[in-house]
Amino acid sequence: MYARRLAVCLGSVATLVVAGGAQAAWRDGGEVYDKVCRYCHEANVGPVLKGRALPTEYIQRVVRMGNRAMPAFRPSEIDDATLADVARRVSGSAAVAQE
Amino acid sequence: MVSKSKVLPKGISAAEFDKAVRELRAIVGDEHVLVDEEKLAPYRKIMMPVSEAQHELSASVMPDGVEQIQRVMKVANKYRVPVYPISTGKNLGYGSAAPVQRGQIVMDLRRMNRIIEVDAELCTALVEPGVTYQQLYDYLQEHKLPLWFSCPAPSAIAGPVGNMVDRGVGYTPYGEHFMFSCGMEVVLADGQVLRTGMGAMENSNTWQVFKWGYGPTLDGIFTQSNFGVVTKMGMWLMPAPPDFRPFCIQYPNETDITKIVEALRPLRIAMVIPNAVVIAHTLWEAPCTPVKRADYHTGPGAISDEAVKKIQADHNIGAWNVYAGLYGTKETNDANWKIIEAVAAGTGGKIITQEASKGSKALEYRFDLMKGKPNLGEFGLYNWRGGGGSIWFAPVSQAKGAETLKQMQMAKTILAKYGFDYVGEFIVGWRDMHHVIDLLYDRSKPEEMEKAYACYDELLHTFAKEGYGMYRANTAFAEKVAATYGPVKRDVEKRLKKALDPNNIIAPGRCGISL
Repeated sequence: MYARRLAVCLGSVATLVVAGGAQAAWRDGGEVYDKVCRYCHEANVGPVLKGRALPTEYIQRVVRMGNRAMPAFRPSEIDDATLADVARRVSGSAAVAQE
Repeated sequence: MVSKSKVLPKGISAAEFDKAVRELRAIVGDEHVLVDEEKLAPYRKIMMPVSEAQHELSASVMPDGVEQIQRVMKVANKYRVPVYPISTGKNLGYGSAAPVQRGQIVMDLRRMNRIIEVDAELCTALVEPGVTYQQLYDYLQEHKLPLWFSCPAPSAIAGPVGNMVDRGVGYTPYGEHFMFSCGMEVVLADGQVLRTGMGAMENSNTWQVFKWGYGPTLDGIFTQSNFGVVTKMGMWLMPAPPDFRPFCIQYPNETDITKIVEALRPLRIAMVIPNAVVIAHTLWEAPCTPVKRADYHTGPGAISDEAVKKIQADHNIGAWNVYAGLYGTKETNDANWKIIEAVAAGTGGKIITQEASKGSKALEYRFDLMKGKPNLGEFGLYNWRGGGGSIWFAPVSQAKGAETLKQMQMAKTILAKYGFDYVGEFIVGWRDMHHVIDLLYDRSKPEEMEKAYACYDELLHTFAKEGYGMYRANTAFAEKVAATYGPVKRDVEKRLKKALDPNNIIAPGRCGISL
């Protein structure tokens, strides 16, 4: 029973998927915020950043240096240009609704 | 001129280092070699109770593929400069992205982030070191593949290769990550590329399906070691079950750990509960809830048992909180659910179902991890004391109740002696426990840093005396932990090192291995 259901469940996609090709890159700073920062900064782990008009230089510096409980992020993870975009977006964003 | 008053690899002159850096730049491009102190800042961030200077790197080099790594190896051999490979570099509490020894060049493989292949029929993947769990998750979602992977708590920013080579764990039925890896590609110190298992054969299509190959199976020697640079890894993925039923069982007393473990062991060994179960202590749950330590304890010393009881009452947290799941069809899960209910009732545990968990941060992130959905909810741990100090003290235990209670009490007593709290959980294998304790301290206070170092040292040696060893350890304690496993093992490791890396250029000092 279990095996049959699983087979049905997988049947529609049971094709070989070859990914390969180019290295993945961030679409923009918004994607970085959603896929990295937000997991802490809108989840009671790190402080909320949006709506505080934090200086972009400060944001970039904290990301590169890390800050106490917060880990640092390397240029190989988030390149300078994308990080600048993250900082611009966070700095200029409206406040998120408080949970 | 790059090396004015710079950190240099051990025994290398500034002039020689400059020459090596120039050759590395020619291989990977100027922008992929960092030497400026400011640019290297992200690699310097550590949570260990030692100074940054002890793990300061001299440079970072970021190759984009195997061929570049082979050429980097040539340069490293020529100048005898050690390189310290990292994948995603998020080994928080174990040394992060900083090298094991001062002066090493970090070889940062984060740019190599291709998902090379996912086979939906065989449920396998082949990935490069820079792939993160988030990236793999997005890929599976985008292609509508009902496949799950297992990930550790820093999932969104960590990745399968780096985690597996340090033999990390996750929380699904595939939670023992090295066990569910299949096939590796390794660049050796001499530049040769080794594929393990069936990957060694030309035209083979079974690299990701049969682990052992022919003759000695070598994968294990490339985990927690420095015998090569892992550049590709195969992994088995779990078919998403038609019905997933996560749950938590809470227990009121610290001593309940004995009966919890006795009740769970048969269910794990018989695979009624198939996943890597977690038994988390109150103080692991509290900061992820989140609860503030300062609201319950101020002043010096460890938090009192009374305060811990109060946290349990105020926030509906058990003394122990068991997280597990049933994975199957509705029918199989209904049948097994009856067993879970009977076990909970028989042991005095309170079941919290997914429906009843709504609104609890601590439960939600656990339930997500048990189906391999990335999040960073557990980083709440680092706010318990704050200040960026955390090292994992992680002894292995038998899955026997009396053993777990003994280890818990030993750890708690030693931690309290130094003013630290017992923040621990047991990650349940079939027959083993990874007893994972977060030694949390305020790294901005030098006196706490010193105490944390001394505390880990005492924990390590007291546990070793009782025959308990670490499954994994931070880079500052690599040498001391290796010493607890005795001289013969270390001698064999050294002989292997000499044979595979005679110039000692790959991460000397990692897990205590060096020439």
